[in-house]
Amino acid sequence: MMRLILADLRRLWLGAAVVLVLVALATALGMAVTLQERALRLGSARAADSFDLIVGAPGSETQLVLSTVFLQPSPLPLMKGDVLARLAADPRVAFAAPVGFGDFFGTYPIVGTSSDLATDAGHRPLAEGRLFAQTHEAVAGAGTDLRVGDIIHPMHGRPDQSGSVHKEAAYRVVGRMAPSNTPWDRAILVPIEGVWAVHGLHAGRHQEHEGEEPDSHDGDEPSRQIHQSGGWAADLPGLPAIVVKPKTIADAYRLRAAYRTDSALAVFPGEVLTNLYGTLGDARTVLALVVTGAQALVGAAIALIAIGHVSQRRRQIGALRALGAPRIAIFGIVWGEIFALVAAGITAGLGLAYLAARLISAEISKGNGVTLPVAFEGSDASRVLALVAAAGLLAAIPAALAYRQPATAALRH
Amino acid sequence: MLSLALSDVSVSYPGLAEPALFLSDLSITAGERVAVTGPSGSGKSTLVNILTGLDRATRGSIVWQGTDIARLSEGARDRWRYQNVGLIMQDFHLFAGLSAIDNVLLPARLRLDADNALKARAASLLDRVGLGGRDQPIATLSRGEMQRVAVARAVLRRPGILVADEPSASLDAASGAVVADLLDTLSREDGTTLIVVSHDDRIVNRLDRRIHLIRGRIHPDESSSS
Ligand SMILES: Nc1ncnc2c1ncn2[C@@H]1O[C@H](COP(=O)(O)OP(=O)(O)O)[C@@H](O)[C@H]1O
Ligand SMILES: [Mg+2]
Repeated sequence: MMRLILADLRRLWLGAAVVLVLVALATALGMAVTLQERALRLGSARAADSFDLIVGAPGSETQLVLSTVFLQPSPLPLMKGDVLARLAADPRVAFAAPVGFGDFFGTYPIVGTSSDLATDAGHRPLAEGRLFAQTHEAVAGAGTDLRVGDIIHPMHGRPDQSGSVHKEAAYRVVGRMAPSNTPWDRAILVPIEGVWAVHGLHAGRHQEHEGEEPDSHDGDEPSRQIHQSGGWAADLPGLPAIVVKPKTIADAYRLRAAYRTDSALAVFPGEVLTNLYGTLGDARTVLALVVTGAQALVGAAIALIAIGHVSQRRRQIGALRALGAPRIAIFGIVWGEIFALVAAGITAGLGLAYLAARLISAEISKGNGVTLPVAFEGSDASRVLALVAAAGLLAAIPAALAYRQPATAALRH
Repeated sequence: MLSLALSDVSVSYPGLAEPALFLSDLSITAGERVAVTGPSGSGKSTLVNILTGLDRATRGSIVWQGTDIARLSEGARDRWRYQNVGLIMQDFHLFAGLSAIDNVLLPARLRLDADNALKARAASLLDRVGLGGRDQPIATLSRGEMQRVAVARAVLRRPGILVADEPSASLDAASGAVVADLLDTLSREDGTTLIVVSHDDRIVNRLDRRIHLIRGRIHPDESSSS
């Protein structure tokens, strides 16, 4: 029986190949959507992992997370300058790091922050060089092509628009970060004081540095020592976001409650992302329906092809019966032939989906630095099993027709 | 070498005014060799279909050596046919993707019945029909060679009944003669009951008896015994 099936498929290889490709594409379509959606979810959750709590000015929670975690360029409202000082002094806070955006070098965002965020308060060593210690020093992300010693001139504004170059201002790269597989790999980290200096803002300092009033309104000033961990002054320029590391989980919840006020908005990035996916849930359902519909269409097309095929071969089937083949063998041959083809198509489709998802993920990573992990999960097995079961049922239709076909066809002309 | 007793058989098809076959009484003794002749549409294939259990008669009994196959279920008739009938058809019905020997063994394989003895017999039968050791694709054989493969397939399991429906009708004269020869000698060797539908005198004249059908009925004058 296997021989007959294989011989038949070999003989009809072109039609078989078409069916196989159809099934593979329909399977891949559904599977790739699942894999990609999951990769996006896991990848963004991982990117948000190192940000326990983000505090920003009241406004869109989603935008705050997208800008801070994914460094999506878009203007955020600014908080009053004293929030950072209050947070840094809060006993529930392990560290509070300012985050300031707006400048770019090429397509790399320049992020002003403090050493705490760059090293996770000393938990994450640099890959190379040292941390910034002066306003005009920078640490390059692992995904940039900058080397220690490079000089960069920041440009204000989004890279896709023609921004103005701060010609006078320059940072010197003094270190490189270890890879984090997040958009921050494409960032250039500089001290927040450097950003303020470049923009000619009043770069507030802690008391120990007072007397060093900034004297100019451009980035022309000499590089200076910067604030190390510890207190911040209350009269700092406004900040778009502060990344807070709470001491305990309980502290995290208390802090979030405490900083949801008229002047501040504290969010858990993971929660915001979950809500975001919840909002996208409907789109996902629609997509799943479309995919299921496409698969059902392919299934129906194959059933029709198979039924046509069976009726074209009435005489051959009759001949098998005339030679003494049991009807169950006829059923088995037709069923086996279609099922083998569809199962092979499903297998090929899984491989295709994996490849496609990997390619798409790689493309996305290249663009924004988020690593999107493509992987099959246990739950996929049940989806694949459902497809295989559907294929089995589908193949049973023409097989049953062949089974019921009268045996007399072989002698008719 | 099965005997046949057929009584009161008629086969009607919807839309036909007269039955396609109407036989009140027909006996064939075990090992008898019978030709069935008649014009096109006279019911010859219909007779083959009900004699081999491929089709059910509308009425009547078809008793082969004590078994009335008209009373068997479809599955039982398939099994009975596999065990007792070797069938040769005008269009050979070989399977293109299989080698000659795989074609010969196919019915046994579909019954999970192909043991080594049967495989050896298949090879020797192919020798016998002059196709030993030929491993070419079946589609590249000549029509005469194809029908010889079909003959080997029909006699593989030494059936008690060999039935051929116009075995040489689509062959040239020389190939037809070879096939007629094979049917004659192979059935004679095993004492097989042989029923051949044919217009070919070279076959008809070799056989013991001739049944002539006209419009589904046996025509007495032209039926003869020798
Ligand atoms: N399935 C069928 N339905 C209707 N009529 C049929 C069917 N099979 C055969 N017939 C008719 O029965 C008659 C005998 O057919 P057949 O036995 O094939 O003739 P032969 O083999 O002698 O040429 C023909 O008139 C044919 O049209
Ligand atoms: Mg006929």
